[in-house]
Amino acid sequence: MRSSLLRPATPRALLRRPSQPPRRLLPLLAHPSQQPNPPPCRPHSTTTTSSVNETEISHFSSLASSWWDPHGPSRPLHLMNPHRHDFIRSCLSSSPTSPPYSSLTYLDIGCGGGIFAESAARLPATLSITGIDASPVIISVAKSHARRDPSLAQKLSYLNSPIESLVLPPVDIVTCFEVIEHVDYPSQFLGELIKFVRPGGWVVMSTIARTWTSWVTTNLVAEDILKMVPKGTHDWGKYLHEYELREWFSKENSREGKKVWGDARVMGVVFVPGCGWKEVKGSEKIGNYFFGVQRLV
Amino acid sequence: MEALLRRRAVYVCQSCVRSARQPLWRNYSSAPPRPDIYDVVCVGGGPAGLSLLTALRANPITSHLRVALVEAQDLSKIRSWSLPPTKFSNRCSSLTPSSVKFLEQIGAWEHMARDRVQPYQEMQVWDGVSGARIEFDWAGAAPNTGTTIAYMTENLNLTSGLLKRLEELGGVSTFDNARVENITHGEETEELDLREWPVVQLSGGKQLSARLLVGADGANSPVRSFANIEAKGWDYNRHGVVATVELEGEGWGGEFTKIAYQRFLPTGPVAMLPMPGKYSTLVWSTTPSNAALLKSLSPKDFTAMVNAAFTLSTVDLQYMHTQKSGQEEEYSWRMEHTPVDHRAVPQVVTGVQEGTVASFPLKLRHADTYVAERVALVGDAAHTIHPLAGQGLNQGQGDVQSLAKTIEYAVTHGQDIGVGMSLESYVSERYAANHVLLGVCDKLHKLYSFGSGPLVPLRSLGLSAVNALGPLKTFVMNQAAGNGMKVF
Ligand SMILES: Cc1cc2nc3c(=O)[nH]c(=O)nc-3n(C[C@H](O)[C@H](O)[C@H](O)COP(=O)(O)OP(=O)(O)OC[C@H]3O[C@@H](n4cnc5c(N)ncnc54)[C@H](O)[C@@H]3O)c2cc1C
Repeated sequence: MRSSLLRPATPRALLRRPSQPPRRLLPLLAHPSQQPNPPPCRPHSTTTTSSVNETEISHFSSLASSWWDPHGPSRPLHLMNPHRHDFIRSCLSSSPTSPPYSSLTYLDIGCGGGIFAESAARLPATLSITGIDASPVIISVAKSHARRDPSLAQKLSYLNSPIESLVLPPVDIVTCFEVIEHVDYPSQFLGELIKFVRPGGWVVMSTIARTWTSWVTTNLVAEDILKMVPKGTHDWGKYLHEYELREWFSKENSREGKKVWGDARVMGVVFVPGCGWKEVKGSEKIGNYFFGVQRLV
Repeated sequence: MEALLRRRAVYVCQSCVRSARQPLWRNYSSAPPRPDIYDVVCVGGGPAGLSLLTALRANPITSHLRVALVEAQDLSKIRSWSLPPTKFSNRCSSLTPSSVKFLEQIGAWEHMARDRVQPYQEMQVWDGVSGARIEFDWAGAAPNTGTTIAYMTENLNLTSGLLKRLEELGGVSTFDNARVENITHGEETEELDLREWPVVQLSGGKQLSARLLVGADGANSPVRSFANIEAKGWDYNRHGVVATVELEGEGWGGEFTKIAYQRFLPTGPVAMLPMPGKYSTLVWSTTPSNAALLKSLSPKDFTAMVNAAFTLSTVDLQYMHTQKSGQEEEYSWRMEHTPVDHRAVPQVVTGVQEGTVASFPLKLRHADTYVAERVALVGDAAHTIHPLAGQGLNQGQGDVQSLAKTIEYAVTHGQDIGVGMSLESYVSERYAANHVLLGVCDKLHKLYSFGSGPLVPLRSLGLSAVNALGPLKTFVMNQAAGNGMKVF
């Protein structure tokens, strides 16, 4: 118990220079306590063999059977899902150069069991969505679950592929929810991810800030005290601040010598036991948040 | 953004329907009936089911859903229902202002025969044994509803209006004159796993697969049985006797201030609810044997019993229930010896419309939950209430409004509208609200069901206390008018 409490504050994490993206990013759901069956938190697993480590992949594979149980460990993710759509809509409507909402293509990186991918495929406005995940077990869960809904087959496809070897024309929206915190080399990972966004399109992510609050809620309370999340789900050292993500994109702009990426949009959300997720202004600084950025050219 | 969502698209597209069917054809050489895949299959075309489908069809966000209606009765007869202005159906309900607002929103209100709807502005409620009265200052308590407490409406006027609106909207696959014979689950094929999808089998062999199966099929809901949802409650051992009656005038308040009357008798409450002109609808909850007697009486004797119910002492009334006939003479004789404040009771009933005396057993039932995987219950399928507060149908409208909103939210967020998770907010919004109301009406019934003993002085005290306690009275009034607490 003691040693695991100490684990998060590894020197590696603490020494990370703020101007550089953290070595590993990592989001998780920061929700202290909850309802009848509090869960764990991690929904989406990671995607790339190079950027995601094997331990993470097997950790999520072990959660596969409960992925779609609304009262199981993935409940917070199920509850989070509608907010993902609200956030995407707010991003799209914030810019006149966004693709029309009536016909969108998506790529969901680290799709897990398909909670987001299925929901996006069901929207009348979606043309197509591809979900990729590094875990073959989870991809098979996703595929098998999708057979339960006849409306999905036409729009939804899954690939068990690392992002590095993915071949896909750029899409309108690249999503990556609760994933980047499991990636070993987030900077390299983001570099791969942005290749799939077409001009006008958006990168939409969610993750969790690396703060004392998030350490207490996700590592101490969720894993050690309440044991609502399997131990080892969170590595606090991998959590990412939204300013770190913003800096990464502005560095991209400097590297390109022009403004390729627009100003980031951020929305902080807090898990309120009994109510689910609520948007709380400013909470991105302390816990879970959404992050969206548009490719301008 | 909203506008973008309005783009019509088919949630269950035809090719999916085909691909779902093909394997079945492949598997069975004997060519069983093909299941047809729908987003919503609604069993029951009563007030609740028709409102739900109308709400879904009228909303651009949900109008792309593929919906079907299954109803045992012949709906074309209900759609073309019409009666002369001097005849009224005996099944009437008082629609609360919030139900009416909802019906306006979904575009059904304008399709109803509005000259047959009677708003009322006052309510007189008293204890038949002690005579204590509850006075309601409606204008002060319900400022947002004007002075109208509720709108008396024939159920057929409502269902006929809903059917006309549905016809105007189009897009509902209607299977009427069709009974649900069985409900099973779908099958697994190579491409699809429909083992959680309900399949409704109709008389005639047709099969409908449902993403969401809605049970709007009344108190004995076959959908509720299929979903293994238990409905707990009890029978009141009371029948509700209904009839359309004619009074000597338009009421003490004239054409524009109509009054609803309700007297609590030891056998149950008797209510006289105003309809247009000189007409009123009677709802009299009483014992099954009293109900049987009332139904057997000649129109003259029945009319006398109705008048007696609002004016004579409970002892006199009890005696008249023992007579096989002759109530008319008995009533006029007893009235000579009974002092009555005529303006405190309904105007004298002069006749009963032929064929309108009927009775229904009364019961209280509440389903343990309103949803199961790919199943939702609305209206009487979910709860059956004592009619004393005239709320059964209104509760169903509240359910439908909430379920339609839940479905809309699910659609805009890509949720599968049939899964339990998507339906959670419907249950949490409606269950407690309905439960409070079922409990209040049940307790009122019980409190007033004793003719003598310690409860009688207590309850007259109770009624006076209710009169004195402003906030509590406001609560009761809000319940009846369906505003404030949002119970209906
Ligand atoms: C005496 C009395 C007075 C009342 N007064 C009032 C009042 O003043 N105000 C008020 O709000 N409410 C009142 N109510 C209650 C009100 O009538 C009901 O709450 C309302 O009708 C319920 O509507 P529903 O659509 O849920 O069910 P129902 O009206 O029962 O409709 C169910 C439908 O399902 C169909 N169905 C059932 N089984 C099958 C099957 N197997 N296959 C195909 N179709 C099927 C039936 O044919 C029916 O059309 C009163 C009730 C009674 C008994």
